[in-house]
Amino acid sequence: MRARITFFAPLVVAVALTAACGESGSSGTGGDKTDSTAASGDTCAPVPGDKLVVLEDDQHLQNADNVIPAVNTKAADAQAALLPALNAVSGVLTTDDLVEMNAAVDVERKTAPDVAAAWVEKSGVTDGLEKGSGPIAVGDAGFTESTVLANVYVDVLKAAGFDASVRVVGRRELYLKALTEGKEIQVFPEYLATVTEFLEGDEANQVASGDVDATLEALQPLAAKAGQLLELEDTTASLTFGDPSQAVDQNAFAVTTAFADKVGVKTLSELADACGDGSLVLGGPAECPKRPFCQPGLEDTYGLKFGSFKEYGDTGGPLTKAAIQKGEVSMGLVFSSDGALAQ
Amino acid sequence: MLAVDAAPNPWFDPSYVIDNWDTILRYLGEHVRLTVSAVVLGALIALPLALLARNARFLAGPVLALSTLIYTIPSLAMFAFIFPFTGLSTTTVLIGLVAYSLVILVRNFLAGLQGVPADVREAARGMGYGPLRLFWQIDLPLALPAFMAGLRIATVSTVALVTVGVLVGHGGLGQLITGGFNANFYRAEIVTGAVGCVLLALIADLLLAGVERLVTPWARVVRP
Repeated sequence: MRARITFFAPLVVAVALTAACGESGSSGTGGDKTDSTAASGDTCAPVPGDKLVVLEDDQHLQNADNVIPAVNTKAADAQAALLPALNAVSGVLTTDDLVEMNAAVDVERKTAPDVAAAWVEKSGVTDGLEKGSGPIAVGDAGFTESTVLANVYVDVLKAAGFDASVRVVGRRELYLKALTEGKEIQVFPEYLATVTEFLEGDEANQVASGDVDATLEALQPLAAKAGQLLELEDTTASLTFGDPSQAVDQNAFAVTTAFADKVGVKTLSELADACGDGSLVLGGPAECPKRPFCQPGLEDTYGLKFGSFKEYGDTGGPLTKAAIQKGEVSMGLVFSSDGALAQ
Repeated sequence: MLAVDAAPNPWFDPSYVIDNWDTILRYLGEHVRLTVSAVVLGALIALPLALLARNARFLAGPVLALSTLIYTIPSLAMFAFIFPFTGLSTTTVLIGLVAYSLVILVRNFLAGLQGVPADVREAARGMGYGPLRLFWQIDLPLALPAFMAGLRIATVSTVALVTVGVLVGHGGLGQLITGGFNANFYRAEIVTGAVGCVLLALIADLLLAGVERLVTPWARVVRP
């Protein structure tokens, strides 16, 4: 029975979400009702607006989930040109690129291979790559960003002479083992902090942090004994990670540009300075008031004070974004590479 | 609503189906292959188990309990268990599907076999029928309606279950359903996958109903 429940539960959720999405679309643009700004105590009350902007996490509360190429060590050793080609992508890829590519697929409904090819063409990463050869399979975890990044890797590897292809895989529990074994997939666009915590395994012990270099340092020894950590038959199998890119997909807090302009804030620290009167309304998933990366972290790290919290079950999904746009909340939890952040 | 021009997101979009026809066909093919292989292999395993449970009565309880127990294993746990041997291949999904199909097939096969009247078998044995002839000419025809019912339910159930193969990237049309969810609720993609599954289940059930009519001609005889 469990098998069916896991299949239908997302369906039910999605029907609820998409239904709500339709409502928000029809009422989203009508928000020219001006807030009364005169009264004290509502400096940071929600301001409706169409465009969203992320406030900079200047104290590094969020984990460094930078896009980083994960490569099977045997494949990396056998092909000297493999890692440099992937590192070339890391060298130029930015969060803005991710946002743009996600928007092109999720919002404009272009296909992921087309979007990836256009970025590779424009970025010029393929210039002067060392030449390699042989088949390489790049894993794709099946969500937009993963699909786009897998296609970017494939295009770049093809330009470097490899016979590269995308292979759709599912959950990290399974594909990371396959990657470490290296028979079915050899390359994967991973996220630095997430893969570090996954390999480390102990939820109570946080080894990843907001610091890219420190997290990478924590990751290297874990990657070297990945075969052992993942309980593979070949305990000597291991992973090799390339350079982390500038591009980050992590928890982020978005406000409307109208709110940012009115209050005059660009970073979360500035927000904490401006909004001491308890008028700030936070929106996020149900676990937000308890999780260190959400409300408690914002309160402890930045000294933010929230007037109230509103719950949206979709963790950075359409409901949360619509709530920010409609002025139900001042600030909401989103993901930093969300296509809705495209300017 | 957004800074970039949002493309419309209708529930039904023929242009999605036309543009992605090759992908849809590929996933449909995988879905059909997985379903057919799972039900065929499931039946081949379930029949001996059902015969065993019928002939040795004390085994009936444990055999049924085991097939039910397997069904309660969550798919992710099941795949993680099979994964070390088969990797990210369709075989991983197939083994899971065969195991899940047993709960329906063993139960229905056993019910069919137990429904064969004891005096009929007794009479056949008295006429000198050996075990093989007894099964082929007495048990099978009499139990066939229950067998076919089990196959039909198992097939429809397997069509739905194939979608859990998404966990290893081989979910047939399920790839479209989860792919659509993961691409900011691409409704056309979700609906194509979901409607595809429903149609496939309906067609498979109709085909098996047709087969059932063909192999049990006596059931159609109008009684006076």
